[in-house]
Order: sequence, then structure tokens, then C-alpha cells
Amino acid sequence: MGRKIRGAGRALWEGLIIANNALMANKTRASLTTLGIVIGVVTVTLMMMIIQGLNKSFQDQISFLGAKTVYVQRWPWVWDDDWWKYINRPRVTMDQYEQLRERIVGAEEISPMAWTGRSATYRDKTLDRVSILGTQQQHAIVGSTLPEYGRYITDIDDRSARRVAVIGVDVRDRLFGPLDPIGRNIRIASKVYTVVGILEEQGNFFGDSRDNIIIIPIETLFTDFGRVGRDVMIAVKGRDDVAVEDLVDEIRAIMRGTRNLKPLDEDNFAINRQEALSDLYDTLTGGIYAAGLIIGGISLLVGGIGIMNIMLVSVTERTWEIGMRKAIGARTTHILWQFLVEAMMICMLGGTVGILLAFAGGQLLKQAMPAVLPLWLAGAAVLFSAVVGLLFGMFPAAKAARMDPIQALRAQ
Amino acid sequence: MSKIIQLEAISKIYEIGDIKVPALNGVDMEIDEGEYVSIMGPSGSGKSTLMNLIGCLDTPTSGTYLLTSENVGEMTDNELADIRNRRIGFVFQTFNLLPRANAFHNVELPLIYAGMSKDDRQEKVEYALEKVGLQDRMKHKPNELSGGQRQRVAVARALVNDPSLLLADEPTGNLDSATSYEIMDLFGKLHSSGNTIVLVTHEEDIAAYSHRVVRLLDGRISSDEKQEPRRIASSTVIASA
Ligand SMILES: Nc1ncnc2c1ncn2[C@@H]1O[C@H](COP(=O)(O)OP(=O)(O)O)[C@@H](O)[C@H]1O
Ligand SMILES: [Mg+2]
Repeated sequence: MGRKIRGAGRALWEGLIIANNALMANKTRASLTTLGIVIGVVTVTLMMMIIQGLNKSFQDQISFLGAKTVYVQRWPWVWDDDWWKYINRPRVTMDQYEQLRERIVGAEEISPMAWTGRSATYRDKTLDRVSILGTQQQHAIVGSTLPEYGRYITDIDDRSARRVAVIGVDVRDRLFGPLDPIGRNIRIASKVYTVVGILEEQGNFFGDSRDNIIIIPIETLFTDFGRVGRDVMIAVKGRDDVAVEDLVDEIRAIMRGTRNLKPLDEDNFAINRQEALSDLYDTLTGGIYAAGLIIGGISLLVGGIGIMNIMLVSVTERTWEIGMRKAIGARTTHILWQFLVEAMMICMLGGTVGILLAFAGGQLLKQAMPAVLPLWLAGAAVLFSAVVGLLFGMFPAAKAARMDPIQALRAQ
Repeated sequence: MSKIIQLEAISKIYEIGDIKVPALNGVDMEIDEGEYVSIMGPSGSGKSTLMNLIGCLDTPTSGTYLLTSENVGEMTDNELADIRNRRIGFVFQTFNLLPRANAFHNVELPLIYAGMSKDDRQEKVEYALEKVGLQDRMKHKPNELSGGQRQRVAVARALVNDPSLLLADEPTGNLDSATSYEIMDLFGKLHSSGNTIVLVTHEEDIAAYSHRVVRLLDGRISSDEKQEPRRIASSTVIASA
């Protein structure tokens, strides 16, 4: 048994040497043949790199929403029904927020949010449309919007509807340049606000800067920009020891109560969470995945057929050699293996070149979009190329292995 | 002496389309261990066909072939391959060496298929190349060797796995007469050291070195005679070719 295995090892080694010699003797042909494989591997790898890059950047972008935080709103983030179903829903109000805050036990913190878009002016500089977020003091934790310096809005600000503002770094840079904004007055629409704090940099959300923002007390927002008909969104940050699903169930029960829903009524509000976006993202990128796989698959198929063709040529050219090897005692499996190894080596060569090209391409691509090359992908590409070689080398190799030694020797 | 080859009513018929070409037509022959037989006959008389059957490279259309009393007709492909590998050494008219491999590697091939370890291979290949007087040409490729040297590499390859039977189909057919005599000298020595040899030739001169001459005509044995072999003039130093 041990002898047999060692024998097989030697046959494998011999196969590698023969294959290597055959490749060296036909360098141009081998490299032309691998082109299909190279293209296939480059396509698949680049696709994968882009998708991996998108995944990572998507996760980074939605991470600010918080895995443990859910958002109670009139509209769901992702829907497939008709919009009119949502448009007639009653709004989420500050009153409902107060009640939810009162009753909920699974939450670490809970904050109301209301949005408007207004212009912001400092002296002669005006920003046309800045996102104005009205909220309360605890939103610093719920929405991870801590001030970098200065202070955040407080409950006292909120109760007395003070005109104080915490501004994002984009607003600071564009309105104040190098000046320290703390204590200076800006105008939001026509109202004068005092800057009390600067937010930590928030980053992007799909191309939109989240630093083009001004946070003010929610009561001030209602007073200055209108209360009636304004949607409120409730951000609830769950306790660490409470599962998000349980948190959602609790919120749902309380909200149904405060919105007077009967047992059989459908929810007329949405409890949104990060996961909904991930799910949507997955369905969108599923298409890209499929397209990538199909394109890559076709290239590899074309490459594989190229390999098969060249291996058939190689088998025909070396018919005499096959006869000789059989005449001196090569078994069918020895010959089979010899040509399989050759096909796999050609393909792995193509796979390796493909990976290197894809990696170089990925570096360029990174300038324009997120791209990641995980090590396993490189390994998988080379391995997969070997499998292509194995599959498409099988027919030529079997043809060689089945040859009659005498007929083969006559081919000289 | 024990019989190494027993052929009984062997026929081989090639079919090309509708035409049947009988290459061998009822051949009976026995060869003992240690014999040195030459097979003669005009071109197309079936010599190569017979050699290929004896060498387990081909199977007869009818008849039985016993190799050391084992029925070759009942063997699997793998068993036939192993017999060609271990028990038969075949020398071809056209050498059949791998052009890109050196002498050492060419001789090593059968041992690789036998699954032998590298150290054992090294020893056996060196010994075989020494036997044919090419110990100092191991790293040479076929195109760096003379015709006679190439054929000696082929003989070394046939010998390397210590086969009980050495077959050669017109081994001197591609060599000039001086070189042919060197090869015959080598075969004579191999025979003296105990090898059984069957050799195809159409040159009386070459057949004269053997102990028995079998003549074929149209696929049948026309004569089978023992003879006193011609002596090799002197034991020339083979390595100098
Ligand atoms: N593969 C083959 N197909 C058809 N006919 C063949 C084949 N091999 C040999 N023959 C025929 O068989 C006869 C004997 O051939 P062969 O054994 O090669 O003769 P020799 O070696 O004595 O010259 C010839 O008529 C030859 O044409
Ligand atoms: Mg012949």
C-alpha cells in the first residue's frame, strides 16, 4: 500500500516534469491558450473585488444607524406595496414619543427626531440647503452624534425652545473657514441661532455628506419651522442584554396601544432597522453577483474549450511519445495523469497571471471605487483554474490514455 | 530449459475497410530461456507483427500466447502494461528516445512507471548505461549522440528493469554497418550474461550472430533452424563508438 502511494507520488512528480517540459517547448502556444483562462479569472476576480468592496463600504455606511437601534416611523425604509397605503397613515407624534419613552423597558435610550431642510448663513456666506435635525439631548448617544468640541443641545435648551445649534464639520468649514464658530451667530432661514458645538465627523451615506447638518432642539424646530403636519421619527437604542427582535416586539405593542389599533388591524407605522437596508442591498447585489458569475463562467468556458483544443493538438502531436511510453510500461492512468497535469498547469498558469492582472486592475479601480482583494479569493481563483484544467483536460487526456500503443508508435 | 515463449496457432488479421490483410497465419513457435533467436523474412512477411505480439504490445486475432506459462490473452490492460514494464525490454529500429530528455532520463523512464525510488533509480540507470558503455554520456541528449550511441541508450532503457526477455525489431536498420556490428557485439555480450534475445532483421549478416534463425514468409514460418553463431572478432571496446 505504502509502496503504491509512493509510486503514485512519483508518477505525479514525473507528470509535473513532463508537463513543464511540454510547456517550455511551446511557450507562445501555452500563453495564447491561457488567454481565455486569464480573461475569465480577471473578470471573476474583479467582479468579486468590486462586490466585496461594495459590501464593506455599505456596511461602513450603514453602521451609523447602529445594530441595536431601531427607528419608529410612518414609512418603512423598504417597501414593495403601493405608496398610498402609507400616505394615509396617521403621523407619529411627539405625544406618542412621550408615551413610548414612558413605558418602554428594553431601551437604553430613546430620542425623537424631526427634519427640515433650510439655508444657513454666516455674514456674507450662505449654504443653500442644510439638513436641520431637531432632537433632544440623549440623541448624542442614540444617534452617536457626540460634539467634537463645544457642547450638545440640552433639555433646558429644548424646554425653553432656545435657538442654539450644533453644526457639522462641513457647515463649519464652509461657513467659518478657519474661524472658531463657538459663540457666533448664524441664521437658519431667517432665525438667528448661536453655535454651541461642533459635531464629530460623521462621514458619508451613499455619496451624501452626513456632516452637512445642523442639530437644534426639537422644540425650537417646531416653533421656528412648524409643528403641524411634521413627521416625527423615534430612535430607540436597545439595551445590550435585549435582543433587537424583542425590542421591536415591545415597541410594536406599545405603539399599537397608543395609536388605538384593534387586535386585527394592520400596523399603521413602521419599525425600521439597519437589517432592512442590508436585505435590500443583498437583493440588489444578488443581480451583480449573478451577472459576474455568468460573465466569468462564459469566459472560463471559452478558456476551457481553448485548453481542450490545445490539449487535443498536443495529444496528436505527441502520439508517438504516448505509444513509446505505453510500450515501456506506462499504465493508462500514467498517461491520463500526464495530460491532466499538463492541462491543469496551463490553467493554473493562466489563473495566476489572471490574479496578478486583476490585483493590478484592482489597485487602479480603488482610486474610483471601493475594492477589496481577499487572500482566499486569490487562492480560490488558482484552484478553480486547476479544476477547469481538470474538466476540460479530461477528454484529451482520456483520448491519449486509450490509444493503442502500436497505432500510436506508427504515428512517427 | 524452461520455455519462456509458447505461441500456438497465432493469427493476426488486419481489416482495412472490407479488405482483410492476414499478417500472421497460424504461427506455432516456442522459445526457451537463454536463447538468442533471429526472425528473418522479406518486407511485409509479418516480422514486426509477430514481435509486437510477443512484446505484449498487440493481441492476436486468434491463437494462444503463453509467456512463462501465463496466458497473455486473459490479461488486463494494467497487467499487460506491467509485463511490458518489468519483464520485456523492447528496442526499436527508430530508437524512440525522448528528444528533449538526456540519456539518463530516457533510461530512467521505465523505472518511474515501476514506481521505484529515486536512489534505486539512480543506481540502476547508472548500471544499465555502464553495461552499454555510456556511463560518461548520461547528461547528453539524443541529438548530442551518434546513431550507435542512441541505440545503445535505447538498449540500456530496455535492460534497466532487468527483463527476462529482450526484443529488438531491426535494431540496426537505421545504423551504418560498422555501428551495426557494435550493437551486435553488445547483444552478444548480453546473451552471454544470460539474457534471452529475440531479434528481427532482414540482413543475413546480422542474423549470423544468433543461435537460431526463424524465417517467415507471408505470415507463416517457412523454416526454423539452429546454427553455430558467428563469433565476434575481438571484444572491442564498445564505449569508444
Ligand atoms: N496496422 C496495420 N493495418 C493494416 N495492415 C497492417 C498493419 N500492420 C501491418 N500490416 C500489414 O501486415 C503485413 C505484415 O506487416 P509487418 O508485420 O509490418 O511486416 P514486416 O515487419 O515483416 O515488414 C503487411 O502486409 C502489412 O501491410
Ligand atoms: Mg517491420
